[in-house]
Amino acid sequence: MKITKPTARSAGRIFATLLLLGLIALLFSACGTDTPQNTFATKGDVAHDQRTIFLLAMWPAIGVMIFVEVGIVLILLRFRRRRADEVPKQVHGNTRLEVIWTVIPAIALIILAVPMLSILFDVGRSPKADAFTINVTGLQWQWLFEYPDVKDANGKPITLAGDPGTAPSGHANAPLVHLPAGREIKVVLKAQDVIHSFAIPRIAGTRDAIPGHEEVFWIEIDEPGTLHGQCREFCGFGHAGMTMTVQADNDTDFQAWVREKQQPKGTAGTRSGSPAPSASP
Amino acid sequence: MATVIGQRQPTMAEALRAARGSSYEGIWSWLTTVDHKRIGVLYGASAFFFFLLGGIEALLIRVQLIVPNSGIIDADAYNRLFTMHGTTMIFLVVMPMSSAFFNLLIPLQIGARDVAFPRLHAFSYWVFLAGGIFLNISFFTGNIFQGELGAPGAGWFGYQTLASKQFSPDHGVDFWLFGLQILGVASLASGFNFIVTVLNMRAPGMTLFRMPLFAWMTLVTSFLLIFAMPVIAVALFELMFDRLFDANFFNPVAGGNPLLWQHMFWLFGHPEVYILILPAMGIVSEVLPTFARKPLFGYPFVVFSGIAIGFMSWGVWVHHMYTTGLGTVANAAFGISTIMIGVPTGVKIFNWLGTLWGGSISLKTPLLFAVGFVAMFTIGGLSGVTHSMVPSDYQQQDTYYVVAHFHYVLFGGAIFGLFSGIYYWFPKFSDKLLGEGLGQLHFWLMFIGFNLTFFPMHISGLLGMPRRIYTYSGDQGWDLWNLMSSIGAFVIATSILVFIINVIVSLRSARRAGPDPWDGRTLEWAIPSPPPPHNFDEIPHVHARDDFWHQKYTEDEKGQPVPVVAGGAVEEDQHAGDGHGIHMPSPSFFPLIAAIGFPIMATGMIYDYALVPVGVAVLFTGIYGWAFEPATEEAE
Repeated sequence: MKITKPTARSAGRIFATLLLLGLIALLFSACGTDTPQNTFATKGDVAHDQRTIFLLAMWPAIGVMIFVEVGIVLILLRFRRRRADEVPKQVHGNTRLEVIWTVIPAIALIILAVPMLSILFDVGRSPKADAFTINVTGLQWQWLFEYPDVKDANGKPITLAGDPGTAPSGHANAPLVHLPAGREIKVVLKAQDVIHSFAIPRIAGTRDAIPGHEEVFWIEIDEPGTLHGQCREFCGFGHAGMTMTVQADNDTDFQAWVREKQQPKGTAGTRSGSPAPSASP
Repeated sequence: MATVIGQRQPTMAEALRAARGSSYEGIWSWLTTVDHKRIGVLYGASAFFFFLLGGIEALLIRVQLIVPNSGIIDADAYNRLFTMHGTTMIFLVVMPMSSAFFNLLIPLQIGARDVAFPRLHAFSYWVFLAGGIFLNISFFTGNIFQGELGAPGAGWFGYQTLASKQFSPDHGVDFWLFGLQILGVASLASGFNFIVTVLNMRAPGMTLFRMPLFAWMTLVTSFLLIFAMPVIAVALFELMFDRLFDANFFNPVAGGNPLLWQHMFWLFGHPEVYILILPAMGIVSEVLPTFARKPLFGYPFVVFSGIAIGFMSWGVWVHHMYTTGLGTVANAAFGISTIMIGVPTGVKIFNWLGTLWGGSISLKTPLLFAVGFVAMFTIGGLSGVTHSMVPSDYQQQDTYYVVAHFHYVLFGGAIFGLFSGIYYWFPKFSDKLLGEGLGQLHFWLMFIGFNLTFFPMHISGLLGMPRRIYTYSGDQGWDLWNLMSSIGAFVIATSILVFIINVIVSLRSARRAGPDPWDGRTLEWAIPSPPPPHNFDEIPHVHARDDFWHQKYTEDEKGQPVPVVAGGAVEEDQHAGDGHGIHMPSPSFFPLIAAIGFPIMATGMIYDYALVPVGVAVLFTGIYGWAFEPATEEAE
């Protein structure tokens, strides 16, 4: 009896600890991977900031979680009823403890709010005057992109559109959007019909595109590469297929792409970069 | 007008039965009942039925998402299924299941014979049932034989402009808006009833600060209900005008604003979140003390944190709308208020742990579910804190991370809490204990299944998986997490089967639970199981918080509790109430008739206005008959 009890108890502790560590390990194994929309594998200033502030909240949260969950298991093991007629002392409370566990979390949360606000105001500031501008419009069920400062041979802004896609791997239908890496980009976001939400998670968190409203914000892409995004706000039948792919170019490549777009081609700009839709697996 | 029944011979129980005829037998007795316990059972059974429906919808969703590029369910059906899943689980499961507990318990816990307005109570149940059936009938308005469901498909949140006539032309959204409108009537009636009941019907000596915590949470929830439901009612009326009469409240082309809908919806929606969770918190605050044999730690702090949550819940709605471009200052203000609502919630969690600490904890099924609530709700609360970090919320908005968060709060929280309540109070109303072995199996299956389903959603969300997509491609790194979630969903479904078997087996068993199987602390355990129609033979006089405990235990010189010698205070309450008149309300079918008027009116609004006056006539017939019906039967 005296031997079995402590082992049962420590087995419970070990089990609980392993379970928690397992869950946390799971979280991190996932977050390290290089998947197309991983909010941890960030490639731009806004996303870096957002990851920083998330981790700043997540670590204390995991700490509190372990404290509470392990605490629950230990309390249940330690204070479990051993005799049917056992009646504990009737403790009604402790004002000092109450004040402590009200004030300390309040202070901790207020401390957390300071970096949160500073990053919020940075992410929310107006784009710089020399930022590269792109107009994005969401509609059922695709994204339209317009480069107001990049004119084609006829003097009209270059626009990109895809086939409205409902396929799950809608990449084939979506245009390949070229954007310059390493400089601030001003996004002017609109919606034509219903609410959509513009998310390229490795560059920046989502922003809603609301009909009748124009949302202006800045993003930045660190280095050349391919980035994926899709609509985040439920927008009806084709929501799942409303994806987009961004090709971030260095200055030379971007200028080359712009020059290519400026070639008078008749259909220039509307269907470029979109190969024939491939059958999805 | 009221008849004093107790003067009949020989015993009061027999007299009651004689006077009320067969009013406690047969289906007619259930259709006309105004007994709060029976209405509670009806509420609970209906909510459980809708729980199964909502669960089947969830399983279909998980079947579709089990592998990438799956085509089992098409986008249209998927959209309708998740819309109905959300709407059902919130309005037809958690709210009425909480209401079932209000109905069953509030009069018993405060030492009353009934609620303040028994027929209003029956009315709110029938209106709820009418609304629930009306909402689900929408499934059949499509061409169902060709696999086209007719249910609403614009999300449980009905965002504009997607839910407008232009973008959701079929009748699904109409059913949704009238269904919710009907359910709102039920919630309002029930909210007012419980406020009046708790404030006016308490037994002598039952001061507000001697009330069981569940009664407190009922009071707070009822206040939230009567203030929150009108907000969504206004929003739904505006939507009705937009859809039916070409108004332009939300139409940006004509100068309306789709964001107005979001503001009103979430101004209702966030208090609603606490309407869903506070009753479960109340249940847990009853179960933990009983099974630890200790009073609730820091009772006044738990009460005031509940009230604080009730007030603060009105000032956080914009955290559903951070990404809508309201501006940095608005987001900052609501970010801070969202951070601060974590404080009273944390206070509750610490007080529950304080209750368990130093107790004598009996690890029975109700306690397991209550502790499961605390454990899972904590995780949901903490992921909520990460949401209050506004800029990082831009990344998680509308991803599965949010799905994980609110299922930890509403399933790991509310549903676990409600199951704790079911296991705890089942013997009070059936005189049968639910089987402990099957109960433990149910708990562990549900606990494991729940975490297997919803923990991976944190990860798929952080990997950028948006909500409400009917399928996804295999190159996103989401497949493993979705596979786990889908397997977990079936484990949960298995646990519900175990629960159903447990209920059937336990109801058939011959073993009686007796009036006080758990060594309870509150008044409901002082009376027989199941309680007689009039609850208390004699209205108790309350001398302390946890009054029944103090009837059973006293303290020796060292402050150690010792059982009261048999024949003490307990006996006093079991005097037959002979000579005391007990005024019991008579059964009435008028609340049912009045309730039937609502779905007729709503159907008329959708299909043919000629039906509307018919519905109005039925409603008024019900109310008229109700108003002129004597409250209690005449003596023969």
